[in-house]
Amino acid sequence: MKKVWVLALIASLAATSLAACSKKETPGASPSASSPAGASASAEQPSESAAAGPTAFSISMRTLNVAYVEQHPDINKDKYVLELEKMTNTDLDIRLIPHNEYQDKMVQMFATNDIPDVVQGSGGISGSELAGSVESGVFLPLNDLLQEHGQNLLKFIPQDAWDRMTDSKTGNVYGIPEVLSNPSRRATWIRTDLLEKAGKAVPTTVEETLDVLRAFKQLGVEHPFAGRKNFKYADTFFGSYDVFGYLNQFKEFPDGKVKPSFFDVEAMKKAIQTYKTMFDEGLISKEFATVEAADFKSIVTSGKAGMWSMNANELPIWGAQLIASVPDAQVALIPSPVGDDGKGGYAHYNPVTRSYLINAKAKDKAAGIVQFFDWMVGEQAELFFSYGLEGEDYQNEGGTIKYEQPTDTEGTNKQRYLNYWLWMVQDTTYNKRISELSESGKQMVDAFDNMLAKEGRRGIEFDPRLDALVKYPDLSPISDQLPPLVLEHVLKMVYGKEPIDSFEQVLEEYLSKGGSEVIEEATARYANKENAFK
Amino acid sequence: MLGFMWKYRTLYVISIPGILFFLVFKYVPLLGSVIAFQNYNLFAGFKGSPWVGLEHFERMFRHHDFLRILKNTLLLGTYDILFAFTAPIVLALLLNEVRLALYKKIVQTIIYAPHFLSWVIVSGIFVGMLSPSSGIVNVILGWFGVEPIYFLGEDSFIRTILVGSGLWRDVGWGTIIYLAALTGINPELYEASQIDGAGRWKQTLSITIPALLPVITVLFLLKIGDFMDYGFERVFVFQNPLNIQNSEILDTYIYKAGLKQLQYSYATAIGLFKSVVGLFLLAIANTLSRKATGESLY
Repeated sequence: MKKVWVLALIASLAATSLAACSKKETPGASPSASSPAGASASAEQPSESAAAGPTAFSISMRTLNVAYVEQHPDINKDKYVLELEKMTNTDLDIRLIPHNEYQDKMVQMFATNDIPDVVQGSGGISGSELAGSVESGVFLPLNDLLQEHGQNLLKFIPQDAWDRMTDSKTGNVYGIPEVLSNPSRRATWIRTDLLEKAGKAVPTTVEETLDVLRAFKQLGVEHPFAGRKNFKYADTFFGSYDVFGYLNQFKEFPDGKVKPSFFDVEAMKKAIQTYKTMFDEGLISKEFATVEAADFKSIVTSGKAGMWSMNANELPIWGAQLIASVPDAQVALIPSPVGDDGKGGYAHYNPVTRSYLINAKAKDKAAGIVQFFDWMVGEQAELFFSYGLEGEDYQNEGGTIKYEQPTDTEGTNKQRYLNYWLWMVQDTTYNKRISELSESGKQMVDAFDNMLAKEGRRGIEFDPRLDALVKYPDLSPISDQLPPLVLEHVLKMVYGKEPIDSFEQVLEEYLSKGGSEVIEEATARYANKENAFK
Repeated sequence: MLGFMWKYRTLYVISIPGILFFLVFKYVPLLGSVIAFQNYNLFAGFKGSPWVGLEHFERMFRHHDFLRILKNTLLLGTYDILFAFTAPIVLALLLNEVRLALYKKIVQTIIYAPHFLSWVIVSGIFVGMLSPSSGIVNVILGWFGVEPIYFLGEDSFIRTILVGSGLWRDVGWGTIIYLAALTGINPELYEASQIDGAGRWKQTLSITIPALLPVITVLFLLKIGDFMDYGFERVFVFQNPLNIQNSEILDTYIYKAGLKQLQYSYATAIGLFKSVVGLFLLAIANTLSRKATGESLY
């Protein structure tokens, strides 16, 4: 009989705890049902005072590895944030999301229904970090608000960025994008001092590039070309032959079907052969398949590499670090090696880098929030986010600005924080005002405007992603990597474990393991112009 | 019976926090497994998500690489029991024979230490040691005229590396319970056997091992329950496309196909499959053990 009592006790405890849980979970489980109620409840409160006082709102932001933010004891009390609040008549409650756990934490945020007034996404309205929240009605359509309060934003941000924030079925705009006007962000870097030593000219074709790498090898350079795991930041030669096959690299083939670009068999074989030649001749590390990001950076900045690929806007920073360890090193951005079509370059980036979505429950503050972002693209914001506080970080003497560019870590961290992180809506290609101040900055601007703007590869992109790619993760490229199934075979071919001639069989395997569905869906969606971008 | 409960009321009250803990943190979350039978949508919740029956399980079994992934999981589980389970026993017995107390303490401390390193660091150490250009292993092999081997770039070495790194990290930690059990053996037994003329080897066989057997059995049963849970992180940090054929296991597949692609229902279905297999293995082993040795978990 004792057992019965214990069971009864357990059962009653279970019942109460379940009841407690379910009470808590109900609003979380169906925000779409509860959000109108929440919105109307807050609308009942007097809103006259809101017009005079600052607009108070919470915003979630990814830390993006920005040291200043990650090391700050309380970012909401930072003097620049306080100044920003003063200038925009707002009261921000910034909630940081750790860079490396971004997706997990975002999903957690949605799952527990602890959603701030403004949510920072990372481009587009259907990214996995948003976990389908846009379709579920968590966010406010902004069309009318932008017309009324965001005229500067509408002028500043190009249409293709707005398209990314628009649900093509309803025409609703769900977010304010930060843009990348030059999507060709990565560049080929070369050590010009080594080039001179080898007596070679700047290479243009793949063949010439291999010759230069061979010459580097003879000079004793440890990594003539810096390789990295999964060809990340080492995909230069896939670009030469236009066979990336990433999410934005679908192409219309002569047979009328839309396929990933590596379906161009001959070009793909040439690209793989190039890497195999490099591997066999020791022009790329024999163990590049296990080189991680940190190793890659230390190989480059310690002067062990002759040529590599990196984001062009890193030139001032990586360049300085390289020269710190190898004083007579010289580095330049050069046009990427071209393939048979005379073109080359890297996969283009999404035109939207960050985006800001407004919670449907924050409807009564939304006008103030849109005005806040509208201010970001004005003159005052440009000065503040480029230099900092007037009188403290820079002097304005009758229109001429005096600003000393920082050289220590603390100063560069602060500058990166202002230029890149806290400036929420801008053209993030490079900072015009800061780049003008240094030689490497000018070199970078020149590379962006005159060289990178002309190169790079892009194809058709589907956003939201193809359903078939979600269903078959083996076939889905992970950002800037080939799909796992293809990558595995390509690496084995480079390492000499499979013949390159069997690439046709790889494609057959791709098709048989779900690839036919991918191509069918891609072709249909492209034909119907359903969230397909070119 | 009420009187009985009243008599031991303090014990009942003391047990409430423990019972609550298991209910709230172990049993209630278990109910979440129902999403394996739904097409779970974060915003619709349990109630709003459509039921799809066994669709996710079918999809899992039909997956073209399922057999390979299952084979890898089972093989690693088997190796884990063969080596990672037995090594601490052997090591504990060896340590038990060390006469010099100070030396024994030093050795113990050194072999515990790696347990506190995260897998990311362990993989960093192993990748460095096994590097074909600068790793110590290849340097030593080079003395014997062996060409450098890219250990992490080969399907054939990866299981050895996975089991080996686990062994290195956790073998010392695993000896703790056995060493504790060893101190509990009555010294009179050894004295008596010495008088009867037994040597150290004979003592180990006839006294130490039988005395340890109950502990070994219980730990073995616990281990069997985790047979399919080799662990995500420890494998993921060593994976690359060149060794994926032999290193992809259910845990890493759940991460890639389920969590990364936000397919929670699919991930839960695979996890549930794993747990059910583990439960069956545990039940079978427990029954066998009860019949054979009289030792069992329940």
